[in-house]
Amino acid sequence: MSVELRFDPVELPPETQALRAEVRDFVAREMPRESWPNSDFNEGHSPEFSRKLGARGWIGMTWPKAYGGGERSFFERYVVTEELLAAGAPVSAHWIADRQSGPLLLRYGTEAQRRRYLPRIAAGECYFSIGMSEPDSGSDLASVRTRADRVDGGWLVNGAKIWTTDAHRNHHIIALVRTAPVGENRHAGLSQLLIDLDADGVTVRPIKNMAGGEDFNEVVFEDCLVPEEALIGEAGNGWAQVTSELGYERSGPERFLSAFRVFVEFVRHVGADPAPDAAALIGKLASHLMTLRKMSISVAGMLQGGRSPTVEAALVKSVGNDFEKLLPELVRLQTSALPSDHPLQRSLSQTLLHAPSFTIRGGTREILRGVIARGLGLR
Amino acid sequence: MESLIAQTAERIFADHVDKALLDRAEAPAAGAFPDALWRTVQDSGLHLVGRPDSGSELGDLFGLLKVAGRHALPMPLAEVLVANAVLPDVPDGAGFTTIAVDGVAPWARAANRVLDLDGALHVSFTVEPGANIAGEPRDSVHAGQTVAVAVPSELPLYMALSRTSLMSGALERTMEMSVSYAMERAQFGRPIAKFQAIQHNLALLAGEVAAAVRACDGAIEALGTNGADNQIAAAKARVGEAAGVVAEIAHQVHGAFGFTHEHSLHHYTRRLLAWRDEYGREHEWQERLGRRAAARGADQLWDFITRGQ
Repeated sequence: MSVELRFDPVELPPETQALRAEVRDFVAREMPRESWPNSDFNEGHSPEFSRKLGARGWIGMTWPKAYGGGERSFFERYVVTEELLAAGAPVSAHWIADRQSGPLLLRYGTEAQRRRYLPRIAAGECYFSIGMSEPDSGSDLASVRTRADRVDGGWLVNGAKIWTTDAHRNHHIIALVRTAPVGENRHAGLSQLLIDLDADGVTVRPIKNMAGGEDFNEVVFEDCLVPEEALIGEAGNGWAQVTSELGYERSGPERFLSAFRVFVEFVRHVGADPAPDAAALIGKLASHLMTLRKMSISVAGMLQGGRSPTVEAALVKSVGNDFEKLLPELVRLQTSALPSDHPLQRSLSQTLLHAPSFTIRGGTREILRGVIARGLGLR
Repeated sequence: MESLIAQTAERIFADHVDKALLDRAEAPAAGAFPDALWRTVQDSGLHLVGRPDSGSELGDLFGLLKVAGRHALPMPLAEVLVANAVLPDVPDGAGFTTIAVDGVAPWARAANRVLDLDGALHVSFTVEPGANIAGEPRDSVHAGQTVAVAVPSELPLYMALSRTSLMSGALERTMEMSVSYAMERAQFGRPIAKFQAIQHNLALLAGEVAAAVRACDGAIEALGTNGADNQIAAAKARVGEAAGVVAEIAHQVHGAFGFTHEHSLHHYTRRLLAWRDEYGREHEWQERLGRRAAARGADQLWDFITRGQ
């Protein structure tokens, strides 16, 4: 037998070199003065920065020009996203809309939805949240209970979503809801609705995380009336639509760069002529990062080719998350205690406090291993 | 898409290499050189792959070594190929050249010439048999008549990449064996592949194999470019790390059967453990790569990662 998990040898095309230089130049000029202690895509919410990126054409890059996109390749998008993350740029405002809400609308949305939302997303002005998890539905996503009942003029939504990043400052949420009772096939009867976060009947409650941040929320729907045209794709096709987002959601550089600023500060700390063990740690981390980039670029190539590399994306996220968790631990063991305001210590503290989320958000480590096992033919 | 060279090699190695041949080649102190296989390899011209006048490239040479690793090929193909590629003036047909590091060379007992990394070519020598932990002959060489030849400065890098390529192939084979075994072996009334604990271990294994294969292929693609040395350093280190993890999980999945001499698994896992040590352990290559990154400085670290230099 032969196990087919293919990461085709793909190189970034030469035209991405000039683009990379442009992004670096832009970041050097436009980054807010206060540098961010980590490269986490969930932190650093700056509408001003997002609008500037939109003006440069660096949001919605792969979308058709008719919808405000740039008709550029997934490789070019890859380069822009990894440059922004590596620099620790504040990208969370537009991140979800650019990565998966926009592509979802492009694939399943109505013409009216595309015209209404995509150009504003691409301009860096319109921000989306993911409405998947619920208080009682985490990894078991098909068990969601938020329901939408057909009524005159649309849908009446009741229920709650949770861990909804930036719902308190984003404009819309794409909620996975039950539009038909649970039958024999539990994946049937689910639909996706695009709901305004400031609509009547929507309450956003902040949830403070253990690092002290307030990025995520609970979003409660109480008799929230949503118009007919809020339906994305087909009623009942929600499961297929949601799973189609995963190749985009799981394969990008945000799945292995969350701890990158710790690496940068470690190199600064040990200087140009480090002790042998410190040098070896730098080399180890570099060898992992160089490899993860090659894997992620390979997936970008598959997306470019119109494929849905679900298993390969799960592999990138799984290997990548383990790496971004290991990085601060190894750096910690190579340094003695530092004052809390030392740049390396700041970055380390911030990253260690966020690290538990790395292997949970966007699909837990356990769920990913199940996806990979299915790809191996084990289940 | 597999190259024609890789397909030819796959066919020949699958025909010739079986457990009996491997056991004979790995016999302590008396390991027997597989003469019939060597003649077939010569007849097919595979031993000249990567030589400047052969119409193939260095990348093909290392691609061929991945296939050799898949089959635990019991002959020093890495040394034969690299020696032929860097010494094109040594005539083909007069036996083969092996390559020594610190006075120890694979299969020197069956070789006609031994090349040191610094360009000393021993045309007569005596041999003291030895072996690595995979039972592969690693013979001490005592030089007799020696001539100096010109070798490229990249020779040690090529040898490191040869072990990386061999490991890449053996890793894929080890994954396939582990997945097959988990589906065949039944306990508690079902294949052990159905247990989540096994699935998760195999998923971890698959992640390491995918990373290792991509790292190795990336280094092969980089041959001849400016950053090739760093890509090879990164690949040898990363693939070496994967080798340890994958061998461990593969044995755990195979249970006691995999620990027996009778089972074939150890032909691949012992080679993984041997090859990760040869031509520089992980730590050595990590330190070398890390020094170059550190010299560029913190603010150029990302540039170093993206350009590989």
